Amino acid sequence: MGERLSGGGLPGRRRVHPGDAGPGSGPADDAAGVEALLAAAMRGDGVDTEAEGRAVAAFRAARDAGEHRARVRTRRRDDWRPREQRRGARSVKATLSVLVASLTLGGVAFAAIGTGGSSDHGSGDRGGRTEQTTAAPGTSGGRPTASGSPTDSGRPDHPATAQDTAAHCRAYEQVGGRGKALESTAWRRLVEAAGGEEKVADYCDRQLAAESATRKPTKTGKPGGDAPGAGKGDGKGAGGGTGQNADNADNNASTDNNANTDNSANTDNNANTDNADNSVNGTSGQDGDTGKQKVDESKVQGDQGDGGKERGQ
Amino acid sequence: MGQGGHPRRAQAYDGELGAAVERAQGGDESAFAVAYRIVQPGLLGYLRGLVGDDAEDVASDAWLEISRDLGRFKGDGAGFRGWTATIARHRALDHLRRQRVRPRASALESDLLELPGPHSTHDQALESLATERALDLVRGLPRDQAEAVLLRVVVGLDGPAAARVLGKRPGAVRTAAHRGLKRLAGQLGGEGGAGSVTDDAPRTLGESK
Repeated sequence: MGERLSGGGLPGRRRVHPGDAGPGSGPADDAAGVEALLAAAMRGDGVDTEAEGRAVAAFRAARDAGEHRARVRTRRRDDWRPREQRRGARSVKATLSVLVASLTLGGVAFAAIGTGGSSDHGSGDRGGRTEQTTAAPGTSGGRPTASGSPTDSGRPDHPATAQDTAAHCRAYEQVGGRGKALESTAWRRLVEAAGGEEKVADYCDRQLAAESATRKPTKTGKPGGDAPGAGKGDGKGAGGGTGQNADNADNNASTDNNANTDNSANTDNNANTDNADNSVNGTSGQDGDTGKQKVDESKVQGDQGDGGKERGQ
Repeated sequence: MGQGGHPRRAQAYDGELGAAVERAQGGDESAFAVAYRIVQPGLLGYLRGLVGDDAEDVASDAWLEISRDLGRFKGDGAGFRGWTATIARHRALDHLRRQRVRPRASALESDLLELPGPHSTHDQALESLATERALDLVRGLPRDQAEAVLLRVVVGLDGPAAARVLGKRPGAVRTAAHRGLKRLAGQLGGEGGAGSVTDDAPRTLGESK
């Protein structure tokens, strides 16, 4: 009742202020009524024939001028086909372009493989390439290869631990007790291995002596020995600054795993000694990686070269 | 009578309209006339809401463009409604822009703001609701609501098509149309007493609380 009064003499109004009455059928029915009403009123009856005549004349003129030909481009705003159709047309186009692009890129890649392989070694390149691809997972995806034993637990009984230790020792000498490097896992392990922090120096001396003994023959005997040598030179240059040293050491600690798993891929490979050496000497982790890759490739190529030679003979 | 009563009625012609448009695109003059007769009433109603008395002129302009660009159009009958409405809207906005540049004293503007006076009964209000009064009501709405209502109800577009014509999101247009219709219903209801077009007795009970 109060509502009715406050409606200012428009009692029906409350019907469309839903308010507390909830969404009853009222407003909807009203809306339907309003729609019908409005449509009837606004659309009017009949069509002005004169206006129709003008429109048809315009149509005729445009048609005779050839403006309705199929060659006129349909702009986006003229395309009112249902969405599925438009999407379908677009997806056909997209599929085609993807196909063309993939064929092109694939062709380029294929051609590149062909030229790269054939320029290196004539007849032996087929076997070489397969060997390379199988070797690659060992270098880059080394961790998955060693998945049987998680890196940490697999370490103690690993044959290459001595080499790692030697590498740590060398880095230890360079860091010289500064920075946080000594807190990292690798150093703690080194200290454990030495049996105490003060014994590290002695321990390292022994390790380094042993390591250099195994390393010397490598340089002369291996055909791919040049690459690690170059890597080592770089590493020393980069490790010059004192501030960088700690960081580098950290990096080395993380590269360490790679070096390790790498070893698992080709056990007892002498080139790997150089590798570990290389990474510890103060290059960043990535440098160590590339150095390693270089080694492997050169080794593989060396092998291929040999194979080719044999075949040639 | 459902809520989308009119759009459904408009859509009933969509098959016929689509066929006519296709034949017209092939050069059939009489088919173009058929399409014109189907589309023009709704288009004119929409334009009346936008530009008032100038609707016929603007519609003529729009049809010139429609005739010229017919070859570019792609779609069915419902699509043709949307396409023509878009063209008509652009012509109307051009028209309004020109008007703003050199304003013309029009009695229409002031009339628009007046709300319709009370009538004795709702039914009478319906009967007497001529084009002029409907126009007044619609133009009393905010612009976005008025356009949404006109496109949905008078032109007979569905939500997504109306949204595309207006260049807005479908949700926004749906809301605007809903609000506009509610407001119109309120104004119409305000004119009459109790009772409505569709039913009366049960709802009166529901409302009494």
